[in-house]
Amino acid sequence: MVQPAQNVSDAVERLKCNWCQGLNLKTALSCQFCGAPLDLKDVVSESGWREAPRLKDMTEFHFANSTCQVEGEIVPVAEINLAQGDAVYFEHHVMLWKDPHVPMSTMQLPGGTKRMLAGMPFLISVAQGPGRVAFSRDATGELVALPLHPGMEVDVREHAFLLASYNIAYSFERIKGLRNILFGGQGMYMDRFVTTNQSGLLLLHGYGNVFERTLKPGESILIEPGAYLYKDSSVQMNVQMQQLTTGIFGATAMSLAQMTGPGRVGIQSMYVHHTTE
Amino acid sequence: MSAIPSAPVAGRSYTCNWCGAVSDGTALSCPACGAMINIKDIVTPTGWVEVPGRKDMTKLQVGKSSCQIEGLYVPVADFNLSPEDSVYFAHHVLLWKENAVNVSMMSMKGAWKRALAGMPVFMTQAKGPGHIAFSRDNPGELLPIPLQSGQAVDVREHFMLVATGQVDYSWTNTNIWFQTKNGDETETHYPIGQMLDRFTAGKMPGLLLLHASGNVFIRTLTPGQSILIKPTALIFKDPTVSMQLHFEHPGVGMGGASLGGLLLGGLMAFSLRYLWLRVTGPGRVAIQSAFEPVEDNGRNITSHSPATRQNW
Repeated sequence: MVQPAQNVSDAVERLKCNWCQGLNLKTALSCQFCGAPLDLKDVVSESGWREAPRLKDMTEFHFANSTCQVEGEIVPVAEINLAQGDAVYFEHHVMLWKDPHVPMSTMQLPGGTKRMLAGMPFLISVAQGPGRVAFSRDATGELVALPLHPGMEVDVREHAFLLASYNIAYSFERIKGLRNILFGGQGMYMDRFVTTNQSGLLLLHGYGNVFERTLKPGESILIEPGAYLYKDSSVQMNVQMQQLTTGIFGATAMSLAQMTGPGRVGIQSMYVHHTTE
Repeated sequence: MSAIPSAPVAGRSYTCNWCGAVSDGTALSCPACGAMINIKDIVTPTGWVEVPGRKDMTKLQVGKSSCQIEGLYVPVADFNLSPEDSVYFAHHVLLWKENAVNVSMMSMKGAWKRALAGMPVFMTQAKGPGHIAFSRDNPGELLPIPLQSGQAVDVREHFMLVATGQVDYSWTNTNIWFQTKNGDETETHYPIGQMLDRFTAGKMPGLLLLHASGNVFIRTLTPGQSILIKPTALIFKDPTVSMQLHFEHPGVGMGGASLGGLLLGGLMAFSLRYLWLRVTGPGRVAIQSAFEPVEDNGRNITSHSPATRQNW
């Protein structure tokens, strides 16, 4: 039953989003910063993985002065209504449609040749407000909204980011160690997104279903390298070779990425099998 | 139909429509396969049953271990293994595991023949205690098949996700093939693979998990009843269900009346041929809605395994 506010503290009471920690009006049904439903319990497996919030069809949330609406559920679309002065950046192949008058430009990136050699996008496109632009990726999966608070650093598997708002700094982190590069299943670089004193929105697309787990300091877990989607930069990644032996045929090895906390780790259930091209 | 259990339960009992397991029906889902209880099965008028909806985070009990199924698009099977239990799988389906879970290789019987048939020669085995999780790389459904003691199913190759240690893994020849000739080159095609995996529960009941693409439909055929299915849609069948090739040649339409049109239509229809798999009961047969195209290419078939034919 809805009770009228009894006193002043009721009037300013806020509902905290468990996914992004954003504070919402008590009456909100979904988080205004990440779209996560506030009226549903978190879905957590017994082993401790939390499902990324399933964004309801047509959910709308806000960043800076702009809004993002999530459309569809199997291959979801992020439709951005950019306000004057706001901008988002992305890899151009994820763009689904746009208003003709939305200006487009490209972002100059440091280390262009290195990036090109590493097969990463050489050009990052930028769309500026006002107007609408919509994005989607080419596979069944989930949109993962990661609002970044000031002073956060998140590492993302290359090509997994759908878009980021302009006040998030984009760089790339060289994956350390030959073994991590060769057997880590994700190439030489990871995207790194950093906020300084402003907050921003980072949207990822994970293949299949997305799960997140927060590791305590020193706690570790082994994951299939292709399943890795994102992590806080405080989480250390180290690829291990798992020796598998049989009596007759000798030994073979399987690589698994060891993630060691503290921090969040996100995985996707439909992982990418990298072919050697 | 092979060994559907009918364990007597004192007092209240509920027989699961999907796996046939008998429980007391007080849980929200069947304890053996996770199918929801007390919901009306969706049955098409033709008799296909859609695999019952499974709630996210459903938990299945198998021996002293449990398995939680997480996610809806590309579901994950998350096992909590007890110290005495083990599971085996093809190593590429491993999603994550705890450090403590021990993985080792398990070699298969008949490895050489399996290698020639392009089937996995090794399985990876994981021993409890601890958590280990599996998933495959395309959207679809996880299909739990609880096997009662002595019960067996035949599964098309590469559909198996993971099986518990109580389940024995062998194989059987499909004997479904055809040969095409192009010049001097003869090629043998196996529309459902050269072999089928056969999973049999030993003295103890076990759990087999399959992953299929798209949606899954299942149908129980009565003795002698047969249907035609797309070979690549087959997921599994009971061993009592027999299989055979079936060729179907469409007739020539009489609409275009002119002699030339009739000739041309006849020629085109001659090269057009549908290749089916005829499955005959008694027993269950399951199909997936997303399947690969059949390798046939309308080429000249020179010989084939026993088949039926229909010219329209």
